[in-house]
Amino acid sequence: MKPVKKQQKRRPATIVREQTQCRFCREKVKYVDYKDLEVLSKLLTNRGKIFSRKRSGNCASCQRKVSLAIKRARYMGLLPFCI
Amino acid sequence: MDTVAKRLYEALFLVDSAQATSDWDGTVKAIETMLERAQADVLSIRKWDERKLAYDINKKNRGTYFLAYFKAPTAKIVGLERDVQLSEVVTRFLILRGDHLTAEDMQKETPAMIQERTGQAPVEIAVAQEVARNEE
Repeated sequence: MKPVKKQQKRRPATIVREQTQCRFCREKVKYVDYKDLEVLSKLLTNRGKIFSRKRSGNCASCQRKVSLAIKRARYMGLLPFCI
Repeated sequence: MDTVAKRLYEALFLVDSAQATSDWDGTVKAIETMLERAQADVLSIRKWDERKLAYDINKKNRGTYFLAYFKAPTAKIVGLERDVQLSEVVTRFLILRGDHLTAEDMQKETPAMIQERTGQAPVEIAVAQEVARNEE
């Protein structure tokens, strides 16, 4: 009969979770302000195009809010339509 | 006597910088008059920022923004929009409903105030922070 090996306790592997929520949901932002250019400019390419949801990581509802805010800022001359 | 329900609105007016600096009081007065004509109770009206425009509007590349918060009857907003459109002072404007706004939001520091306090535009501060972060 084989000697029974004492089972060593396995260390749980460090779990790296993907971000499950978008940047606005994490901060519980309900309204994306079109005057907040610091936030909006992070969601634009250097040619002034809006990042896709895949690239920005936004949820559908926040992406809609962001795109509306960017379009308002563009109309007011705060952000460019294209560069 | 029936009372007309008034909603809170936020409006941003774009005015030519040259005109705003040459006749500051006149410009503010013109905006206030238009709001008063729409039976609006003006809560605040102040300079939001003076900046280079992202693209030329009416062949101008600099503009001064005025941010106003006011309470007005909903039916009067269409008239107000028409009034501002016909005005020669305001180049462009945006009136939005501000039901979600709190008193804190309305007193939030504007880019013009930040520039006055620090002597640096918020954009410049953000760029400096970004550079410092990259150097780390």
